[in-house]
Amino acid sequence: MVNCYNMTSTSQPIRPTSSAELQKQIRENYVGSRRPIHIRGGGTGASAGYLQDDPSAIVLTTTGLSRVIDYPKDDMTITIEAGLTIAELTGTLVRHRQQLPIDVPVPEQATIGGVVAANISGSRRFGYGTMRDYLIGIIAVDVQGQQFSAGGRVVKNVAGYDLCKLMIGSLGTLAVISQVTLKLKPVSESTGILWATFETLDDIDVVLETLLLSSARPVALDVLNARAAQTIVTGAELKQLPTEQPVLAITVDGLSAEVDWQLESLRKELAVFMPTVCLPIVNDDQRQKLQSAITQFSQQQSAVLALKANLPPSATLDWMAYADEEGLALLSHAGNGIVKGRFPVEPTEYSRAIEILGRLRAKARQYRGNVVVDTCPHTWRQKLPMFGDPEPSWSLMRKIKQQLDPDDLLNRGMFNEFRLPALRNSDGVTS
Amino acid sequence: MVSAEKQRELIRRFRAIVGEDGILTQPEDLAVYECDGYVIEKKTPDVVLFPTERDQIVAIVQACRELEVPYIPRGAGTSLAGGCLPVGGGVVIALTRMRKILEVNLRNRYAIVEPGCVNVHLTQHLAGSGFHYAPDPSSQGACTLGGNVATNSGGPHTLKYGVTVNHVLGLEVVLPNGSVVELGGVAEDAPGYDLTGLFVGSEGTFGICTKVMVRLTRDPAACRTMLGVFENVQDATHCISGIISAGIVPAALEMMDQGIVEALEAAFQFGFPLDAGAVLLIEVDGLEAAVDSEAQHIIEICNARGAREMRWAETAAERQLLWKCRKQAFGAIGRLSSSFCTQDGVVPRTKLPEILNFISECEKRHQLRIVNVFHAGDGNIHPILLFDERDETQIQHVLAASHEILQKCLDLGGSVTGEHGIGVEKLDFMPRLFSETDLAIMSDIRKVFNPDGLCSPNKMLPTAGACGMEEIPRDHPGRRAAL
Ligand SMILES: Cc1cc2nc3c(=O)[nH]c(=O)nc-3n(C[C@H](O)[C@H](O)[C@H](O)COP(=O)(O)OP(=O)(O)OC[C@H]3O[C@@H](n4cnc5c(N)ncnc54)[C@H](O)[C@@H]3O)c2cc1C
Repeated sequence: MVNCYNMTSTSQPIRPTSSAELQKQIRENYVGSRRPIHIRGGGTGASAGYLQDDPSAIVLTTTGLSRVIDYPKDDMTITIEAGLTIAELTGTLVRHRQQLPIDVPVPEQATIGGVVAANISGSRRFGYGTMRDYLIGIIAVDVQGQQFSAGGRVVKNVAGYDLCKLMIGSLGTLAVISQVTLKLKPVSESTGILWATFETLDDIDVVLETLLLSSARPVALDVLNARAAQTIVTGAELKQLPTEQPVLAITVDGLSAEVDWQLESLRKELAVFMPTVCLPIVNDDQRQKLQSAITQFSQQQSAVLALKANLPPSATLDWMAYADEEGLALLSHAGNGIVKGRFPVEPTEYSRAIEILGRLRAKARQYRGNVVVDTCPHTWRQKLPMFGDPEPSWSLMRKIKQQLDPDDLLNRGMFNEFRLPALRNSDGVTS
Repeated sequence: MVSAEKQRELIRRFRAIVGEDGILTQPEDLAVYECDGYVIEKKTPDVVLFPTERDQIVAIVQACRELEVPYIPRGAGTSLAGGCLPVGGGVVIALTRMRKILEVNLRNRYAIVEPGCVNVHLTQHLAGSGFHYAPDPSSQGACTLGGNVATNSGGPHTLKYGVTVNHVLGLEVVLPNGSVVELGGVAEDAPGYDLTGLFVGSEGTFGICTKVMVRLTRDPAACRTMLGVFENVQDATHCISGIISAGIVPAALEMMDQGIVEALEAAFQFGFPLDAGAVLLIEVDGLEAAVDSEAQHIIEICNARGAREMRWAETAAERQLLWKCRKQAFGAIGRLSSSFCTQDGVVPRTKLPEILNFISECEKRHQLRIVNVFHAGDGNIHPILLFDERDETQIQHVLAASHEILQKCLDLGGSVTGEHGIGVEKLDFMPRLFSETDLAIMSDIRKVFNPDGLCSPNKMLPTAGACGMEEIPRDHPGRRAAL
């Protein structure tokens, strides 16, 4: 998914309404003017808005491809077109008490194609995993307008290379996703959240360590610093929740009895560590608002600079404590070592941003982690290293990009760092 | 087969890399490596090597490149699709001496192992820690993590917990150009394309995996293991659809038909009902607060769908015995027939009654005996075709019946392999499953990793290895004879 405000183009967006039309339009571009193509789902900008301004680019919107192709609900799979929104998908599934358990911000706008391409995930990835655990089949159109597929419609399948995995998180740089098949999960009967505040992030780290062998089986282990807690609680309109201190928010789900039992066990397990507050949130309305505000956190358009750190879980809170001092609002899916950070106001200057980013990256590197820039002002994009330090595997990624899109037409600039050398290669200049 | 001169040069170089102790060159030793669990096709390699560390593999790959000799990685050789068949001869790189568990990190829920580590050794190593490695192929007592990665193995408990790829965080790989690269890593969400996910299931055609970083899963707090006894296969398969469509995801849901039950009873004397048409082995796990009600729900569905009887495993020992029976089902088949061919297909779960009907028609049509033991909850069937190796007509019937069953899986919207892979066995099905463009793109991706096609040639894709590389003729193109 791509920030739409980045996509300036002189021509009207194209909006195919069938797969045949999609292929035709891309093919015509390829045999004709070979203009760059900016692929746009719901335009929610849930992830990196790395596209460069390019007046010559064609904007291709997938929202016209929004049919449910097949929903054999008793098989617990669904095949849908890429432009279907997450809200529409959820609406269809919930009637049969089924779900795609991926937390997606702005579900009314976000499309499934965008969620796959940007590999969106949220709190429940701890218990349910990410897109790679649900995408079982894919149809996409390459830059020449040729349709290809991988996987299938059955939940277990090892025929052929798993191009589904390759497309997840590829940010539209390899092909235009037109259709996906997903494996589904039943909706749980009940869900509850335990909201516990502690004096310091360090205190929470100790709790997390003991929770590893908890008698409960949380589906989300989120840690918020006070800044993030304030944003989230305001968003959820749950003023009664304290936000002055770092928060550990634990989500459990299952049968009602199971949820009650888990919340009670967790409360006892946490009591040993003397949380300043420990509140169970079981009211469905409040709980849903809170979950949605947490999911929405990474999506605040007001952020000047938004980051995502990926770390081994044991290093998460240490890194958060460090980043907290730099003034970020921080939400972590601590069980997975993923931290989403936003600067509410500062830095407004590039030089300061690069300095801070350098420090945060150095800290992440100590733990074999990394920091990726999610959102930044348009003008910084060209110079700011978005993906961190180059890895040897990037050369393979460049070659894959070069194989599938040698002219670099699809979402040009998205993976800027490993795009440029590849292009030089194709021009015969060594990188 | 390489020339005598080249072979001498190869052996001289390989001796220097792996030592006298790490090389096999005598025909009687090489014969052991002429096939894997897919015995219908055989080819003797020129050399078998047993490296003990990554850098030896790098040196071996470099030597093979220089001398333009094909090579193929091999774990325990339990592949059932001919994944280890050294088509065209060349070098087999056996990874069984690289079996160390390098690191277990419970705080970060991962383990790092060498590729030759046997699946069950990791399970045993973790016992009592509160964590386990979830994918549990029935061959787990022998198969290696490297082989599991290459084939994206499943197992009974992958219904709830996911297959190998869902549990691999990262890999270290020796690429066919001799370089070493780390894909993914112990921190989730490494930036860029998910090359770990792409490598898993690539059946040895992208390079040799030298380290596997796996995710560890919390042990379930409680489980209930049940045996549903059914009059016939149809009732049992309808019941499976009933359970799945009720929105229940059991930890495992396996089916065994009468033929299998008979063999197991003879081997283990568990007390299986010999007159039942089929039994379902069902396990639910989770919190104590939930397992009983989930189990109860399943029992109600089973009863409503014609179960003759429901039994519980009362003790941990009984549960273990049940699982032992299931996992050793293939072994027990030896009691039924000297030779058998295990097929692997997938159908949408609601189509299980249809495919099992078809299998039974096939059995009659080809005058064969076919027994069934399979991962029912995933729709992953394993018909086992029994035959006498000495009877050429029977072999032809086995091949024809297998082919018809797999084609039926495709007709029902499924796939020709759920976990055993394409290997050499199912190459000819690839153009039925995928379009020319699909295959061309897969071949482009293979080129990125394996441009000269020397690494595991003639596997997975119906085109040999690299551009301009002719398909290597196979000596006894087993399954193909029937297509
Ligand atoms: C009785 C029995 C039961 C089985 N049950 C199951 C089951 O429940 N689920 C299931 O999924 N499978 C099952 N299988 C099939 C088989 O065990 C699996 O495919 C297993 O993963 C193979 O592991 P291996 O170590 O034996 O690999 P091998 O058979 O040695 O190799 C398999 C493939 O992997 C490649 N390979 C091996 N090591 C590496 C490496 N380090 N790097 C790159 N490529 C490599 C080989 O080239 C080959 O293509 C069963 C087989 C048997 C005989």
